[in-house]
This record gives sequence, C-alpha cells and structure tokens, in this order.
Amino acid sequence: MKGWTGHILRIDLTSRTHKIETFGEEFAHKWVGGRGFALKVLWDELRPGIDPLGPENKLIIAVGPIAGVPAPNTGKTVVAAKSPLTGGFGDGNLGTRATEHIRKSGYDAIIFEGQSDKPVYVYIEDDKVQYFPADEIWGKGTYDTHDYLYKIYGKGVGVLSIGQGGENLNRYAMIRSLEGRAGGRPGIGAVMGSKKLKAIVIKGSKPIPVADPEGMRKLGIEDLRKVGEINKQTGWSIQSTTGVLSWCNEVAALPVHNMRQTHHPDAWKIDGERLNNARIATYGCPNCTMRCGIAIRDHEGHESELDYENIGTLGSNLDIFELDQVGSLNYLCDDYGLDTISAGDTLAFYADAIEQGAIKGDFRFGQAEMAKKLLGMAARRQGEIGNLLADGTMRMSRAIGSGSEAYAMHVKGLEISAYNCKFCPGMALAFATCPLGGHHKDSWVITFEIKQTKRDSYGPEKAAKVIELQRIRGGLFEFIVACRFPWIELGWPLEHYPEYFNRVTGLNWSLDDFWKISDRIYALMKFFWVREFPDWDRTRDYPPMIWFDPSNADKDGPIAGKVLELDKFNQLLDHYYEQRGWDKRGIPTRKTAEALGLKDEITEVEKYTKLE
Amino acid sequence: MIKITVKLIGPLINLAGFSEKTLEFPAETTVEEVLASLPIDPQRPKIVTRNGQAVAPGEKLKNGDRLAISPIYSGG
Repeated sequence: MKGWTGHILRIDLTSRTHKIETFGEEFAHKWVGGRGFALKVLWDELRPGIDPLGPENKLIIAVGPIAGVPAPNTGKTVVAAKSPLTGGFGDGNLGTRATEHIRKSGYDAIIFEGQSDKPVYVYIEDDKVQYFPADEIWGKGTYDTHDYLYKIYGKGVGVLSIGQGGENLNRYAMIRSLEGRAGGRPGIGAVMGSKKLKAIVIKGSKPIPVADPEGMRKLGIEDLRKVGEINKQTGWSIQSTTGVLSWCNEVAALPVHNMRQTHHPDAWKIDGERLNNARIATYGCPNCTMRCGIAIRDHEGHESELDYENIGTLGSNLDIFELDQVGSLNYLCDDYGLDTISAGDTLAFYADAIEQGAIKGDFRFGQAEMAKKLLGMAARRQGEIGNLLADGTMRMSRAIGSGSEAYAMHVKGLEISAYNCKFCPGMALAFATCPLGGHHKDSWVITFEIKQTKRDSYGPEKAAKVIELQRIRGGLFEFIVACRFPWIELGWPLEHYPEYFNRVTGLNWSLDDFWKISDRIYALMKFFWVREFPDWDRTRDYPPMIWFDPSNADKDGPIAGKVLELDKFNQLLDHYYEQRGWDKRGIPTRKTAEALGLKDEITEVEKYTKLE
Repeated sequence: MIKITVKLIGPLINLAGFSEKTLEFPAETTVEEVLASLPIDPQRPKIVTRNGQAVAPGEKLKNGDRLAISPIYSGG
C-alpha cells in the first residue's frame, strides 16, 4: 500500500503508554484520511452519551495521503473529537509543520485517549513517545508555550498546543500552531485540555511513502510555482480573504450588532484595504505559495494575524470599527487558544442580551477594552460571567432565557461564521446543514447565490450548489487534507487533485470516486449526530429563528423589509434532503446508506432510530 | 450625464488605482460600458452589484446608482 503509512499511533494518557496499530487497504480506500479517518475512529470507538470533556472522549489528529507532500497547499492537519460545544461530531483543520512530521514519523493518524493526572506535553519522534511535565507552560498562552518548546526542540519541529482556554475547558477552545494558525472550532482544544495535554511536539525522519516519488516531486513543485504565479497575477494576497468584508457590506450580509444589522457606514475602517495598508508581515502554512495571513500591529503593540472571519466577528459584529483593537481581540483569542468566531459571536450575544434587558451587565457594543477583559474571563472561566461566556451562545441563552434563544446566533450549538443570512436562503441552508454546526467551512454559497440566482429563491438549484460545495470543501479537501484556497480563490482546476492522489497512492481514481467518499462521510457524520440525539428531527437543521422574524428586517439598504420565510426554508431543506437521499427528518435513508457501503453503521445507528 | 459611484473591492483597487469614486457617464450607460471604462481585464470573473443587488451587464444605470465590482470570493 503506497500513499499511506498504514500506521496509527495510539497514546493512552492515563497510563502513559502507546502502541502502533496497523490498518489495511479497505480502511484506507473507504475513508482515505483526515476527516474520514477521524470520523470512522470516533464512530467505532466512542460510546454515545459520553462526556466530551471526560476521559472517554478521544482526540484524533489525522492527515491525508497528499498531506505534507510538496504540492499546492498540503500543509494541513485535521483535529477531531466529540464536541463539547455541540455534543456532536467536531473537527477542524489547521496549517502546521506537524503535518509533515506526522507522516515522516510513520503515521497517518494519532489517537489520544484517557486523561493524564498532571499537565503534560508529549514529544513524538518516529517510534519514540515521551511524556514531559508541562508545569512550566501550564497556565501560559500559546505564544509563550510555542517559544518554550521551540527553545528546547528548535523551530523546525511540529507543535500543536492549547492556551488557557483549552486548559480551563472553554467550550470553543481551539488548537494552535505556527503564528496564527488554529483549528478545531467546536472545542477540540477543550478536549485536549480535559486530557491535561498542553502540547504535542513531533519530529519525523522517515520518508513519506509515495508511489511515484520523482514524478510527484516534479509535478508538485511545478504546480506550487504555477499557483504562486496565478496569485501574483490576480493580486489575491493583497487583501487575501478580507476583501470579502467590503463585499458583504455592499450586499447587506455583514454581521453587525449581533447580526441584527447587515451593513454599517464605518465598515471601511476595518476593511481589506485598511488591513493591507497596516500590514507588517505576511504568514502562511507550509507548502503554500498564496499566503493569506496578514499581520498588523495591534493596540498593545503585538503582531496579530487577521483574516475576514476574525474581523467580521470580533469587529463589525461587536460594533468595533478600530482595526488595531480588532487586532488586539484577535491576538488574545490566538494566545488564549479560543475560536475567534465563537468568541466574537458570544460577546455579541452577551451585549445584545444586556441591551434587550434579558440579563444585567455593563458590557455594551463597541467597547473594545471591556471585550478584552471579558475574553480573559471566558478563557479562564473567571466568575459567573466568565463561566457563562465560556460555554458559548447556546448554553448562555438557555441559562439567560427571556426569549434570548431566538437571537443566540448558532446552529447545533456552533456559532455562525461572519455572514449575516437574514435574507440569504442558500447561505442559511449551508450553515443549517454544515455537519459541524454554524460553520462556513463546508459550503460557502453566498457569491453563487447573489450572482447566479435570485436572492429570494428557495429553489433546488441552491440545495444542489450547497451539496456540490460540501462534496468538494467538506469532503475532498478534508479527507485528502489540503487547503481549498488554490481551487476556490484562484481557480486552480480540481482535476489536479486526483492527479496528486494517484501519483502518491499508485491508484487510478477520478473525482467521481472522491464524491462517493464525500457522501459516505456526510452520511456517517449525520449518523454520529443521530446516535447522540436519537430524537433527531429537521428543526435541528434550522438556522437561528431571528432570521425569520419580520421585526428584525433591515430598515434601509438593499434588503430593507426582507427576512427568510420558514415555510419556504422548509421547502429548501426538502430539496436538500431529497437530493442527498435523506428522509424528511434529515437522516440518510437505508437505501442511501447501503449504496454508500455503510452496512455495519446502519446496524449501529438503528439501535437508536429506525431508518426509512 | 449621470453620476455613478463605483466601489472597487479587493485587488481591483490596485489595478484601477482607486477604491471608490463618483464618475460621470452619458445617460443610459450600461453596466458593461462602465466596466469597459476601467483598467480591469474583461475576462476576469467578477461579481457586480447595483445598490447591493446583482445586476446584468446590459442593464442601464440611473443617476446616483452605486456599482460595486468585486472578484469572485469564495470564503475564508
């Protein structure tokens, strides 16, 4: 078997022992890697109903067959676990030097299980696994943690770490690597913290198993050069993702004031043009020639790397229109190891709840200094407010009550990324059906929706586009594990990816083979949710109710007076379920699951609900 | 003559040399005529909105319209 190492490293943190397990072609060909591997391991090994922050949960670090191979944007690693934020399947990806070192150590995945009795960090070098006390870094932020480990091991190693957020079980804590790279929005950093695992350091020295090493090296290096050339020609990296902010402001899709508003006259103060003017450094992931991380000097003088989602949620959604202050909030999230999107939305919800009189407090929209203080309290779970904020919007709204659930901006417990969909049915569907919750990662359909369809349409074409993008973004790029940006931002043809995959594995797969795997993974992710929540129905696939509330309609601008309509949204969900071969509850039918080769999984899920 | 505010987004700003400008055009100027007047590759995929709504290339513009021209973004 080429392309895969065929090995998974399993580390038990309770006993501080490890073993190297093997897997064969059947597993590799069915689940490929990354999200596919992580999902299958969690499905097979977790008992439903376990505490995501208890020793029974498992932290999976998984790479894919082309990960770490020199080719466009292959520096990514997937981190996954049962989510403490949503209670369902949770994962994310991040660019890290660990990607290459995991493969060079001889593994396609690492499973952490159990719970250490004391804070530790783990050093992995090929077959060797060592456990070290983390006393000197426990309680410190990710920047100090990385510096400490780089001093010991050098900067060339792969480091994945948590900050105070993960240590204190903040439910939207992430795992961080490199300058501003972070992954695992649904609280995967909290799972790492629950295991008292402060950091993973990895260094590998073995060759990555590639079927055609010379051919792949030549092709990969040449394609990296070509992608870099296209990036230069188009000027994409001038503003990277942050050009989206001005566009969202133009088309009334910007999150402002806890997503109650869709545009703002001061948005230009935090847009991509201002960011580029303030740029002091540019960062990217390994194997990348279109680096997207634009760093500026924040209000306190730190270097802070920003992208659109950070600015949209920590800036406009909090009515903060000072770029250096948005930079400060972003820096704190990176240092504490918190997800910027959930952190921004949670603070916005808190300010909104105070404004609505649902809870008493001093925090108001636009208060950057107070927001910084609250982030620190949330990361450390300080006091009643810190604890409340650390649990995210869904739990906060349940605790506060007074109708606040309607404007808690999450889907399935995961806060919504920086697109205000009060009148974008297709993008609302993308959030609603994302297998993680309110994430833009799997399907970003908003430009298609506005350019190529009628904005007020709830037709099957929007459901079809959401599924098409989920297959590519949430499927292909998450299981071969590579960054989607060359394709999605620069138009780098998708056909290159089977070419890389085939050179690495020696197989002869086409994109159609990949789509079947994508659909298999999507079906099993839904089974994972259903096993955890056996009373599953379609209402769990609804976006926040305030998007359907006519009193929340814009008073002016391009979508004045308009909001989503629930009966039509249900029709759109029907289109989506029908095209996927799922039933009206949003669960894959027996026929669909059988066609995807999920025989054993059907037996398991039917212990909890009857499939149609 | 009609006045049209042209708002450019992302790297189009660097190509055209301005971010936002109010320009004068003859009455009944179409969207594609405004685009043709800008130093932006006509083959480059773009998304154009008029007053926040998608607009077809042949549509005639009115005095006071705001035209936003953006590359096709695909989400961070």
